[in-house]
Amino acid sequence: MDHRAAFFLAAAIVCFLLVPVSNGYAWVSAGVGTVYVLLALASWLDARSQRRI
Amino acid sequence: MQAPVVFVIAVALAFDFVNGFHDAANSIATVVSTRVLSPRIAVLWAAFFNFAAFLVFGDEVASTIAKDVVLQNVLSIGVVFAGLVGAILWDLITFWFGLPTSSSHALVGGMAGAAVAKAGFGVLIGEGLRKIGIFIILSPLVGLAIGLLLTIAIFWAFHRNRSIERLNRGFRTGQLASAAAFSLGHGANDAQKTMGVILALLIASGHAASDASTPLWVVLSAHTAIGLGTLTGGWRIVKTMGSKITRLQPAGGVAAESGAALTLFATSASGIPVSTTHTITGAIVGVGAARRLSAVRWGVAGRVVWAWILTIPGAFVIAWSTFLVVDALS
Repeated sequence: MDHRAAFFLAAAIVCFLLVPVSNGYAWVSAGVGTVYVLLALASWLDARSQRRI
Repeated sequence: MQAPVVFVIAVALAFDFVNGFHDAANSIATVVSTRVLSPRIAVLWAAFFNFAAFLVFGDEVASTIAKDVVLQNVLSIGVVFAGLVGAILWDLITFWFGLPTSSSHALVGGMAGAAVAKAGFGVLIGEGLRKIGIFIILSPLVGLAIGLLLTIAIFWAFHRNRSIERLNRGFRTGQLASAAAFSLGHGANDAQKTMGVILALLIASGHAASDASTPLWVVLSAHTAIGLGTLTGGWRIVKTMGSKITRLQPAGGVAAESGAALTLFATSASGIPVSTTHTITGAIVGVGAARRLSAVRWGVAGRVVWAWILTIPGAFVIAWSTFLVVDALS
């Protein structure tokens, strides 16, 4: 797996792990986690398309 | 006002000065490393906007520091003094090693350590510490994501532009605005922490009611102290932030500073004391990661992360020991 995508996925997991303990700020943790999931997906697609080129 | 209260207020302002001195690098590292401003002009620019922040932001962060870290009834002149000594000594130790650690978390660790030395772990306010703890992790991640997304947006918007020279000139001008915004956020979030400590001291010594807001003279003196600290500058950390983590171009500088500034504006308005150091470091890493992950020097970034992890325990232990000495002497 692309290193950058793995890094973003790890960041997303950290954010989602924070959701249960974030009380009033759970939406921030969940929102940032979602952004990192999207970044991981985009980074993986980018790496895949570059390999094909 | 009694002499010990005046003395501890002076120590709090000294902490604010050291905070500006230590964190000056965060505000100016990217503009200096991209050669948009000379170091001398850059510190003037940052110091002015550090001071001007009091016109824009309220005192929500000050209130969190004063009322949400330790129980108010345990606060005394000795506790506040020992907490400040813990934070200042930790800042100076990490400054010596050139590590961009958080003055804010040193302050939280220091206040907690001194209060625990006086009355045990029961005096810590779990809810407030939890909020601060969550944003220790979230603020660099938010800064990183915004820095990265802005870098991608800039690449997309300008990828057809053939004149790199003209583009860089445009972003150099843009960096003046983004550095100003970041300095504004830095002044707002960091000066308010000192305001919070002074407010806690005024409440503890009976000079203010427990529900009082921060007096204007405290607001002005805290912003003046951080501005003067920034003016004095901190070159060791400029080097780490400006070029060792990843090499920045003017466009990257705009993205990093804007990402960090947006994070600081949002957290200051919500009363969350975050680390300006964590936020800008995350944003700089985000800019590097937009190119490729190997553009980030992870060895340096890792050393910085270790310093972050050790900040609260380090300042806690120094403040704890200082309180025991102060208590024995008095």
